[in-house]
Amino acid sequence: MLKYIGKRLVQIFILLVVYVAVVFFLLHSMPGGIKAMLTTNPNLTPQARDSILHAFGLDQSLWVQFLTYLKNIFTLNLGVSFSFYPTPVWSIIAERLPRTIFLFATATLISFFIGFSSGKSLAWKRGKVSEYVATIIGVITYTVFTPLLIFVLIWFFGAYLGILPINQFLNPDLWVNTTFDAQTVFLYLLLTVSIVGAAILFSFIVAQKVSHRVKTKKIILYTSTAIASALSIFWWAISPYGIYGADIIWHMVLPVLSVAIISYAGTMLVMRDSMLETIKEDFITTARAKGLPDKVVRDKHAARTAMLPVITNFVLSMGFVVSGGLITESLFSWPGMGMTLLNATLAKDYPLASGALIFTGIFVLFAHLVVDIVYAFLDPRIRY
Amino acid sequence: MKSKENTKEVFESPLKIRMKLAWRAFKENWKIFSESKIGVLGLWIVITFAIAGFVVYPILASTVWKPTLSGMTSYDPVTGYDFTTMNNPTPPSWHHLLGTDPLGRDVLAQLLYSTPREFALGILAALITVFIGTVIGTVSAYYGGVVDTFFMRLADLVLLFPFIPFLIVLSGMIQIDLLRLALIIGLISGFGGITIVLRSQAMVVKVKPFIESAKVSGASNPYIIVNHIIPNVMPLSFLYMMFNVTGAIFSEAVLSFFGLLNIRMSWGLMIYTADTAGYIVGGNIGHYWWLWLPPGAAITLLCGAFYFIGRGLDEVVNPRLRRR
Amino acid sequence: MRPVLEVKNLKMYYNTRAGIVKAADDISFTLAQGESMGLVGESGCGKTSVSMSIMRLLAENANIVNGNIYFKGKDIVKLNDEEINKIRWAGIAMIFQAAMNSLNPVYKVGDQIIEAILAHEPNVTFEESRARVAELYKLVGLDPKRMDNYPHEYSGGMKQRAIIAMSLSCNPDIIIADEPTTALDVIVQDMILKEMAKIQKKLNMSMIYISHDIAVIAEVAEKIAIMYAGKIVELSDAVTVFKKPAHPYTVGLMSSFPSIHGEKKKLVTIPGEPPNLLNAPDHCRFAPRCPFATKECWEKMPLYEEISPNHFVACFHPQNLRKQVSKDA
Repeated sequence: MLKYIGKRLVQIFILLVVYVAVVFFLLHSMPGGIKAMLTTNPNLTPQARDSILHAFGLDQSLWVQFLTYLKNIFTLNLGVSFSFYPTPVWSIIAERLPRTIFLFATATLISFFIGFSSGKSLAWKRGKVSEYVATIIGVITYTVFTPLLIFVLIWFFGAYLGILPINQFLNPDLWVNTTFDAQTVFLYLLLTVSIVGAAILFSFIVAQKVSHRVKTKKIILYTSTAIASALSIFWWAISPYGIYGADIIWHMVLPVLSVAIISYAGTMLVMRDSMLETIKEDFITTARAKGLPDKVVRDKHAARTAMLPVITNFVLSMGFVVSGGLITESLFSWPGMGMTLLNATLAKDYPLASGALIFTGIFVLFAHLVVDIVYAFLDPRIRY
Repeated sequence: MKSKENTKEVFESPLKIRMKLAWRAFKENWKIFSESKIGVLGLWIVITFAIAGFVVYPILASTVWKPTLSGMTSYDPVTGYDFTTMNNPTPPSWHHLLGTDPLGRDVLAQLLYSTPREFALGILAALITVFIGTVIGTVSAYYGGVVDTFFMRLADLVLLFPFIPFLIVLSGMIQIDLLRLALIIGLISGFGGITIVLRSQAMVVKVKPFIESAKVSGASNPYIIVNHIIPNVMPLSFLYMMFNVTGAIFSEAVLSFFGLLNIRMSWGLMIYTADTAGYIVGGNIGHYWWLWLPPGAAITLLCGAFYFIGRGLDEVVNPRLRRR
Repeated sequence: MRPVLEVKNLKMYYNTRAGIVKAADDISFTLAQGESMGLVGESGCGKTSVSMSIMRLLAENANIVNGNIYFKGKDIVKLNDEEINKIRWAGIAMIFQAAMNSLNPVYKVGDQIIEAILAHEPNVTFEESRARVAELYKLVGLDPKRMDNYPHEYSGGMKQRAIIAMSLSCNPDIIIADEPTTALDVIVQDMILKEMAKIQKKLNMSMIYISHDIAVIAEVAEKIAIMYAGKIVELSDAVTVFKKPAHPYTVGLMSSFPSIHGEKKKLVTIPGEPPNLLNAPDHCRFAPRCPFATKECWEKMPLYEEISPNHFVACFHPQNLRKQVSKDA
């Protein structure tokens, strides 16, 4: 297992270097090259310009430049943003990357969970009206032009029902008199979610080890989830950040919903097809012959095995979801990586745009690695 | 008398025989394809759009929408303006079936004018992709070794490549027009997933006996690839072409929706115009539906249609999926 | 002695787009405690449909339209899902045709066996069930250490043994073995069959072997039923079926398999094609291929009758055949 993860790590690292190389040489081949891009900023003082030129080795040969560029990326020295002068690019990305990760992780988990269970049920009980309805909805959300979908969501929830905020990261009126900034609250949120997630994962592993009966496993898992969630809600309720955290979450609902819908249909359709293939397998007949209840056959045997192609498909559809996320962020003015990339491009802020592009790539590669590891845990056949 | 007829048949030109065979294969495959409802639906949508863009628009442009001498009403999709309407955008009326945009241009004219361009972009990009993908896929499968490893790892990278973000950053550095966009999309995705699929298909063909016999009879490697392997992976290439058309049209729509492309008119640009003028924000969205719904629906339908055709073709190409 | 399984006039039909397929048509037989029975026939004659009806593992388009299946006096056909789940595995277990794919690839083999034990015996602890699996592994000739391996780490023969161990795990009264050895090579085949017969005797279970290969059945079954086109055409003890076959199809089947022992005989193939079960005719279904068919055979369905004690045949001319066979000999 460790060997497999190590191997994947090395492969991902090589892919990363190649990716940076592709971006570097593309930037280099642009009119004016990297030099012009990093330094055509009227705000830049001559000293600052020289230090950038030196830091990026732009007075040296192409290969040295590339190696310097690579080194700079790994040391997070990405230059200075034009539009947020003199903020370094890295600090802007460091602020916005967690937001994108949070948005993606939440939306992906939600869409995976719903897509997985609906695809599962649809394949198990075939030929019902619900199958046609769900398939049509799935195909529509799969092919719909993303901005169109978001407009409809904004119109329905924001304007027609008027129950959800339709843009921005937070409500500025609420934050006027606060002494702390939004990023702190957001990081606390992120921390809470990771702690709760880790607690659930831990209790899941403990449940697997301690008991062999489905009922006790479920009890352990559900109680620990409930306790962890209750504790974190309690902490937020008594802390001064409570209402502000709620405000951020409140503003996240629609963006998360959008990204979840974008990636939902793919999961659902693949899960359904995969499940239909799996229930034809002989081991499903075996499981039924063993006298296991219908639900156990469906969940433990069919769905568990049918899940594997869904995870593979997730990697393949990542590009689609990332571009969907970019559109979502910019339409909701939700300041994550996607919006940063788009606005930096529109403002001709090349250092920030290329930095955001590189970190979008790193983000995708990292997600790929996570999925690979999850896959290895789920499929014993590849743990060689 | 009879024998004469026989010889006649025997000496039918090879081209004619090939045509006959191709026609028969086409008829059989059509039968399978037409059983998939979704594929036929996709085909009908594509045909409808093609007729609208290539036939209806030119006719309308030269008759009803012809610039009048008074110059009061112009239906030009880019420079047109209707002086008879007071407050643009105007909702749908008999003069403007889908209303006018914030600049007083006819929405229907814009919609129809853009259609052939979407087709051209999608098909050109897909052709480039399929050409590169087929060549690299078959060459990798046939030669194997370093060539194979290199292109497969490259394909892994391209699969994960954040394509739209990359195009966005690129559009900030160079002017991208429709032709350039088609070239870029075609080139990059040509090295992506399609090479992996076509390579595995070519691997299956490569070990077939007829390849061996072609080698024995002294055919050169390029000859075998072009004449024996490529024709056998062609159906799969064609299938992936459909999915690539979808991808290209979608990418164009997204980029022009952000106003990043250097083009005169497109469906994405129509939404961009409405959006930047503030007609899609918040409560306006339901009120000014004709500004975003027609182009949005057109993008969705055309993208969906090519995807549907792909799903239908999937059943022709992959017998595993066929229903008994 | 009361039979442990009694199948009475079982009719199981498939509804397909093309029409009704009579996969099992008027099947009747009984099985006593500790008895082993063979069900022989060409592929597609409805053997598997019979076994699937007994387990009530029916496809969505399959229906039991008539008949009863009594297991220890309870009619399986009429039980609800919960009751049938109790009988599956604990009462009637099954060894499937495709051993390669009968184990779920994502779970450890031992856990898949334990799962069956825990599902049927809620009072057994996990440790006890593990101990039982270890016992079973020894019984079928597997190393108990392999319990914690995944199916892909097993060879074909090992998987087959594991499946046999799994079928024994809940001490069933009956095991149905559907082509238990078809996927294996001949030597392993023979070994596994012998072991299965040994275990069956030792535990005094009833057994139904299903195969297209009469030679396989002959080795292990005490009683043999020959199926043709969804019907049992002949049923008797193994000796009678081999020495005094009464149905022309049985004779044909036997002469189409080579025998290592005894005199050299020319292998005879049965002319014609196996029948299509879709819209099967109302006359004797073997008539088109039968050398002895008369006008009667083309008009009516022969009755399934006891021509001598415990020898059931569905043929209009069993005696004719007897004469013909003795003449040949």
